[in-house]
Amino acid sequence: MDQKEKEFRSLVDRYSEPLYWHVRSLVGSHEDTDDLLQEIFLKAWQALPSFRGESAVFTWLWRIATNEALGFLRKQKVRSVLSFGRIDAEAERVAGNDPWFDGDAAQRKFAVALAKLPSKQKSVFCMRYFEELPYEKISEITGTSVGALKASYHMAAEKLKIFISEEN
Amino acid sequence: MNYKVPEGYFEDLRAKLSAIPAQQPEKVSAVSRFTPYLALAACFAAAIIIGTGILTRTTTPAASEDEIIEYLVQSDLSLTQIENYLSLNE
Repeated sequence: MDQKEKEFRSLVDRYSEPLYWHVRSLVGSHEDTDDLLQEIFLKAWQALPSFRGESAVFTWLWRIATNEALGFLRKQKVRSVLSFGRIDAEAERVAGNDPWFDGDAAQRKFAVALAKLPSKQKSVFCMRYFEELPYEKISEITGTSVGALKASYHMAAEKLKIFISEEN
Repeated sequence: MNYKVPEGYFEDLRAKLSAIPAQQPEKVSAVSRFTPYLALAACFAAAIIIGTGILTRTTTPAASEDEIIEYLVQSDLSLTQIENYLSLNE
């Protein structure tokens, strides 16, 4: 096993589980997360020789993962419009029927409401609310200013309240 | 969020992800990737250089019109044949 492969294995050992939860919070479905993890680590493997440590490994991996997840959500929205005529229909369906969801009815409503958020707002909300990352770290990952991130988080939280009240 | 995963999922995931390097084709360097094309280009260049050399040695420079006329006049051709030749080249 060469040095590159050793480094890659140590990334897998250390980050595969936290990255899974990061991506899962964004896309919802276990199967889609599993597929995306393959793509993310394949990209990490291919980009490993050019990774020079200018950013922390964590930031680098989270950036790859967030971009992949946002790309997936964009495609899902396009498919959703073509198939159902509504941008959020597919995401709502996935969130509402996920067999690997272990919450009660209220938590399921929260998951469905989360699925309705615009992708970028959702990514900011998930990184702040579920992963409890500081805004400065989210800023490094997304390349967005801290002020804009705070605004996104606030708008996401307000929209979630509205979506949940509509569900009720 | 109340998500769950199948039993033993993360062990399987780690094993699956660790296998990624073995599944990738060995990276070919830019030089070796272009070697066949470089060889082909070198063959073409060699053919052009050798061909030009052979043609230069086996052909004489094009004669001027005056030289041709002089040649025809000095030849055993009849005037009619020479006129015909000249009218063809007008």
